[in-house]
Amino acid sequence: MPDERDPRPIPEESGPAPAGGNPGAAIDGETPAPKTPAAPAVPLSAAAIADDPEAPAPAAPGEGYQIKLPAFEGPLDLLLFLIKKKKIEIHDIPISIITREYLVYLRDRSLINIDREAEFLLMAAILIYLKSQTLLPREKVADPDVELRQRNFDHLLPIERIQAVAHLLRDKEEEQSQIWTRSTFNAPLPDQDLDLVEVSLFDLAESFFALMKRKQKESFRVIKGKEISLAEKTEEIVAALKSRGVLDFLDYLWEQESLEDALVAFFCLLELIKARIVLAVQEQLFNTIKVWLRREAPPEEAA
Amino acid sequence: MTDNLKSVIEALIFISVEPLTTDRIKEALPDAGEAEIEEALRQLIDDYANGPQAIRITPSAGGYVFSTKPEYDVPVRALLQIERRKKLSGQALETLSAIAYHQPVTQAEIAAIRSVDSTHSLHTLLENKLIKIAGRKEAPGRPLLYRTTDKFLAYFGLDSIDDLPSAEELKKLMEQGNG
Repeated sequence: MPDERDPRPIPEESGPAPAGGNPGAAIDGETPAPKTPAAPAVPLSAAAIADDPEAPAPAAPGEGYQIKLPAFEGPLDLLLFLIKKKKIEIHDIPISIITREYLVYLRDRSLINIDREAEFLLMAAILIYLKSQTLLPREKVADPDVELRQRNFDHLLPIERIQAVAHLLRDKEEEQSQIWTRSTFNAPLPDQDLDLVEVSLFDLAESFFALMKRKQKESFRVIKGKEISLAEKTEEIVAALKSRGVLDFLDYLWEQESLEDALVAFFCLLELIKARIVLAVQEQLFNTIKVWLRREAPPEEAA
Repeated sequence: MTDNLKSVIEALIFISVEPLTTDRIKEALPDAGEAEIEEALRQLIDDYANGPQAIRITPSAGGYVFSTKPEYDVPVRALLQIERRKKLSGQALETLSAIAYHQPVTQAEIAAIRSVDSTHSLHTLLENKLIKIAGRKEAPGRPLLYRTTDKFLAYFGLDSIDDLPSAEELKKLMEQGNG
């Protein structure tokens, strides 16, 4: 296929043909150009299309932005197709020119077809991706296991010995768990962080609104007619507290499936705090609000 | 004199919420001799250990601190409204052990010991301040280095990291265990 070997001279040879493809005409898609925009690329694209049924149909006249480069003239989808089929060398396609001219084209338009331009952007992105792939040196993905083996870890203790230490520490932890100091110094886990500040309703509300703002940004959800019962949610929270021990107030609300779920969960938490079933405190250092059960359900304890 | 010194030291330890080091005691009592202080301290600890008091003086993380005796665990927890204390997970303990014996240590080294991923455990331990980040290793990638903290010592009732059996002692211990 000699005509595909070097596509560059083609547009020059068909000199008069791309005259309609002068920047003005090509850019202004609304001009009912008499020539089909694909025409300048015909020597190249016709052959390509001929032997490939998958080739995109030549664009209708005046439809969308036409590329005009020494190596190629025509719509972007055709260019992309030819590149994928390796009929055009991507190195010959200066992408900066395409994007610059496309921006000029967009600026000069008073009305744009969103669908068509979105499609263009997608294809342009693919084109940029393909080109970047050829330009960047290929990095071999390092196998972490191999890497690990290559390093010298001879000085490390075998796992059995480390596990023996873990056992020892477990015993010590058990011993220490019965010993209390005036600080909560030997009590790292939230159960014991009693010097934390109990938070006010305003702290909770403030955190909640900050969260809601974040959540709203994430997605615009249509409010569904789903009913969420306060009682069920309360049970859910208590169950979560029982299994997890402590909840990060915001994380918990954040986990909620929808805004309504989060809202109901927030009210339930307020109720639980008011009923003194759960305790909400703030670690000043990190400003996260943690919630946990004050104790097992009071009736059980009385029994 | 020693009796008086004992009482002074008792007061100093009493007002300290965190373990009070001998150095701090010496600073506060410049007129007392070093040996005198250490002797008084030793006697004081003995007095509490053998006395009827519900509290004792415990060496912890290089200092001394008042703590309750284990038999008062239940009423203390009742007061604090704590059902039971949370325990570290086996994973976290194993990671902590690896750090304690190899510190400062990188995550890659911990992974090489445990042959499982320790990211979550590291996070838990950092959050509970049982370990800390102690700079970066001057090696490719400059990975973070981890160390145990004073809180680690206090949490396990250790006075210093040397309270843990040495690598050799550990080996002997395990051989005995197997024999």
